[in-house]
Amino acid sequence: MTEGITEDDLISLCGKVGKILLTSGAETSRVESTVEYIGKAAHYDIVCHATITAIFVGTHNQSRTHLVKVRLGDWNLQKVDEINTVSRKFVAGEITVAELKAAIEKIDRKVIDFNWPLKILGAGFVSVAPMLLFKATWVDLGYAFFVGIFGYLAAVFSGAHVKTPYVSAGFGGFVVGLLAAALQLSGLATSAGNIIVSALMPLVPGVAITNSFREIIDRNTISGVVRAVDAVIIAGSIGAGVVIGTSLIQILFSQIGG
Amino acid sequence: MRVLVEFIVSLASTVGFGLITNIPRRSLLPAGITGSVAWVAYYVVLQINHTLILPNFCAAIVIGILGNISAVLFKVPVNIIYVPSLVSLVPGGILYLGMRSFTLGQESQTTVYLFNTLTIAIALAVGFVVAEVIFYRIKPILFKLLSREKDQNSSSN
Repeated sequence: MTEGITEDDLISLCGKVGKILLTSGAETSRVESTVEYIGKAAHYDIVCHATITAIFVGTHNQSRTHLVKVRLGDWNLQKVDEINTVSRKFVAGEITVAELKAAIEKIDRKVIDFNWPLKILGAGFVSVAPMLLFKATWVDLGYAFFVGIFGYLAAVFSGAHVKTPYVSAGFGGFVVGLLAAALQLSGLATSAGNIIVSALMPLVPGVAITNSFREIIDRNTISGVVRAVDAVIIAGSIGAGVVIGTSLIQILFSQIGG
Repeated sequence: MRVLVEFIVSLASTVGFGLITNIPRRSLLPAGITGSVAWVAYYVVLQINHTLILPNFCAAIVIGILGNISAVLFKVPVNIIYVPSLVSLVPGGILYLGMRSFTLGQESQTTVYLFNTLTIAIALAVGFVVAEVIFYRIKPILFKLLSREKDQNSSSN
């Protein structure tokens, strides 16, 4: 099993595995256990410590440590699954180290994504929140479907062009607030508030905050707290965006109407 | 009738979030069903108990058990089932409302919303822990059933 790979190579390979897993949205405990399984399968005593911003990989019997810096990325759970499949095959002895290395390089470079029409449809479906069924009117929920799509597209588009963090979330909120307030003031929709809450579902970091509490309960306190603070700030920028959007439309309509 | 509507809408919402977060295709349907069964559980418990904690806790237990079972059946990491099926339960909307009242300077409302967020998130997280404890009890039985099925398949082939 060990032929064909040195300790250093294995450590840097493990660093890469950890980085892909963490940026694609796996929990830190899964990152650590996957890397350590791979090390054990290659007959090296690898230790791995992952926090949300960095991964440390080393072996027990030497003093050097490999440090990989990580930036929080977007969800891409398909990559988590592919790495998981490859590493399971490796641990089971079905593929060699060289094949594992090639497979991981391939996953790292590959852009795995659903096509855009499907993602847009998905964003629309998420924007009809079950929480508001029978509380908001059906017409409002129908509007939320489309407003949510525009908000999601605005967030993705600005995320690709602006590198400053949190701007994309704020811009998504801005578009949602703008459209919802315009719909209400023009008399088409009953409640802008319901449309906004429903249409923000794809943007809002609810899953992130729940996962952060799962990590805290799992005693990964650092990553849990980092995720929670990140979620609160994302929600704050969405809130600010919505407030700016709605007030802009209110000013505009009062100018036209007055 | 109403339960059916709730089921369908939450199924659509879970599959939709699965598309956004890019989960593998083979896990879209299991995640969708997990999410919508959990939402129906939330809805049913909410009719009996009008608090924040118990309905969310029960829904998280449902997600935890169904999610772990489908993770074994479809050979995916369990987080891939968890993330999309949580989307309709999760306190994202309330967190947004809290931060919006914070932006508008309404302190007392901010506190109420943020406390609700905290309560729901903790209820869900504790539900997952309990579900995992239960799952590790039923896991040997599940594996026994699976291996028996496999034996039957191989013998019939």
